[in-house]
Amino acid sequence: MMVDLGIPGLKAAQGDHICAFYRGLRDRDRVLIPYLRAGLAAGDKCLCVVDATDPESVLAELRCDLDVDRRVAAHQLDVLASQHTYLDGGAFRTDRMIEFWDEAVSSALCEDGVSFVRAVGEMTWALRDVPGVDELVGYESRLNRFLPLYPQVILCLYDLERFSGELILDILKTHPKILVRGTVTENPYYLEPEEFLATRR
Amino acid sequence: MTAAAPTPGYPPDAVLRDQLSNLRGLLLFAVLMTECDDEGQITHLATSSIPSLGTARLRALYIEGSGWQALDGPRAEPALSQLEAQLHSLDGVGGPVRIPGDAWAWAFALGGRTGSFLVVGAAVEPSTENRFLLQVLAQETGVALANARLHAQERATAKRLEETLGALQRSMDIHKRLTQVAVRCEGQEGLAQAIHELTGYPVAIEDRYGNLRAWAGPDRTEPYPKDPAPKREQLLRRLIREARPSRDGNRLVALARPRGDLLGVIALVDPGGDCGEHERVALEHGATILAMELARLRSLSEAELRLRRDLVESLLDGTDDETVQSRAQGLGYDLGRSHRVVIAEGRGRTRDDDVFFQAVRRASLDLSVGTLMVARKGAVLVLASQEVPWEEFRQAVLRELGGGRCRLGVGGLCERPADFARSHREAELTLRMEDACSRADRASSFDDLGVYRLFCELPDLGAVERFVRERLGGLLDYDRRKHSDLVRTLTLFLEHGGNYIATAEALFVHPSTLKYRLQRIRDLTGYDLNNPDTRFSLQLSTRAWQMVRARREEEVPPPAPGAGRRAPTC
Repeated sequence: MMVDLGIPGLKAAQGDHICAFYRGLRDRDRVLIPYLRAGLAAGDKCLCVVDATDPESVLAELRCDLDVDRRVAAHQLDVLASQHTYLDGGAFRTDRMIEFWDEAVSSALCEDGVSFVRAVGEMTWALRDVPGVDELVGYESRLNRFLPLYPQVILCLYDLERFSGELILDILKTHPKILVRGTVTENPYYLEPEEFLATRR
Repeated sequence: MTAAAPTPGYPPDAVLRDQLSNLRGLLLFAVLMTECDDEGQITHLATSSIPSLGTARLRALYIEGSGWQALDGPRAEPALSQLEAQLHSLDGVGGPVRIPGDAWAWAFALGGRTGSFLVVGAAVEPSTENRFLLQVLAQETGVALANARLHAQERATAKRLEETLGALQRSMDIHKRLTQVAVRCEGQEGLAQAIHELTGYPVAIEDRYGNLRAWAGPDRTEPYPKDPAPKREQLLRRLIREARPSRDGNRLVALARPRGDLLGVIALVDPGGDCGEHERVALEHGATILAMELARLRSLSEAELRLRRDLVESLLDGTDDETVQSRAQGLGYDLGRSHRVVIAEGRGRTRDDDVFFQAVRRASLDLSVGTLMVARKGAVLVLASQEVPWEEFRQAVLRELGGGRCRLGVGGLCERPADFARSHREAELTLRMEDACSRADRASSFDDLGVYRLFCELPDLGAVERFVRERLGGLLDYDRRKHSDLVRTLTLFLEHGGNYIATAEALFVHPSTLKYRLQRIRDLTGYDLNNPDTRFSLQLSTRAWQMVRARREEEVPPPAPGAGRRAPTC
């Protein structure tokens, strides 16, 4: 099953874990907003976690041409803040975040009656000085194991203006697909979670 | 990660895939860095990625021409100096360097940037693969920096070009608008309005003396302020010296100087001193258009003056043809009216013919005497189209002169162009009669000459001369032989009605002298000066004698300019 990413000509396969690179907020929204619009149009459950802006700004952007409130009330769209998800409790923990996705996706598929979930997370929270952020790359690697469990696709958003080269290279190694400059490319050499985690030991 | 040797639990092909994954990452970096125009972001992306490429760590980034850009090692000045010396010795190709504390250190040459290096160090020498990755990173970084610099230069060039085009466009707008002013003959008011619209500032146009000629915009001061003449001249001299728009108090001022003649001034009123280049350009263009306009007006004025002068000269020469009529019509002048030729002779306190001419012109315009006039050697000839009290006209000239002297000779009436020459002669004759009679400055008309006029109109001057000789011949001969003054004495005695005191005063002699001279006249002629018939006959003779002298003078060239009054010779 191929999923329309909302950007002309770009599609993803079920189970894809894509890291998307952008420069600044305007560039972020060029990826984020069409991605959510396409998901809502397809009847998918859309899970969005933002960090650089509050959730309301994303909802306002979508509200231009969609009945967003109805979709939020129907649980088709959840836009959340990073402090209530990634950094819940003031720290990041990989296990807790994987559990969050597991619960949110399974709940949507079982209770909300949708057949597909598309998630998106803005990753700039990892630049904050809070406990656990050094688990980021390991977490990304763990997500690769989680993705095949459900009919879903997940987009991780990385701001090139803020992340270091070292982190970007590590992110590249752990993502099977990359979205950059409007093109999705595959990384045939990406490291499986175990492999990457082994390099970290 | 980035292992040179497999780690326990590390799949055998994982080393290769890690390496390939790094290479792929560097390819992506190449894309990201090349599309980035910010040199800071490029160096940050490059230097911060080094830990992912093995055990080596950043020590320094050196850019030729910019110096040390990123440092994470030898920060002390001596160490940096030593490292810089080592980099220079590498001849731009990269190679090993010595860094205190590092067992291995290498300077990788940046691609596309000669003399620039990425310097890394490590406790142990990295694998060949990792060194290759660092070399690729240095290459990509150099290319990206060169690219960013080129883009920056392009942007700077484009910005300069845009600014130049903007300035050119503004200049063209100014040129177009001001050309419109010139082509549509909008005059000084139109020019001031155009400059005001182009700049947003109030605009004043003044003549060279500081009198306001046109204003556009708000806040006009009433009455319009005017500097004293010395201060004004000082400003004009400074503006001429500086040869560009300059500030004068709260104004930006430019001169209108066609062919070096200073004809006017144009000013932007700018109390805040905010005028920029655009306003200066507009003002300079405006000054050029103003110079053209003022030169045109002056040229028109000079041409009209020349045409008027030529017309007057033709009329005084007695020309009476169609060309005279058509030239007068061309000047909008009605020759069909009655005229008189009026000669104003005199001078002001200074011997400046132009001052006298301007005084006559202003008095003539004020009293609506006439508009056609010409200057001639210390005199001004006016073709008077109005009958006015001529003494009032003379007084008006004196007032305009602010003192000095002036007398008027008014010719007879002209009903057609051919009459102007006669009226001119009559005006001249009138003045000569005034000379002959030693009269004080006054306005005298040919029409008021009385008996003189009768003599003047006699065609045979010889008959009059014979009449004079019959009665005064003896005295005239005596005066000529003895260089005496008996004829003039007799003339003034008769003109003063036989009053001894008045006559003596007029002659500037003692009454006894006068009595002696009168007795001498009686002795020489035998005339009884108390006989009314004799006195009438003699007075007619002396007046005829004056007229003959005046008409004889008419037949010889006129006196030299500025000769003023002739000495009384009666």
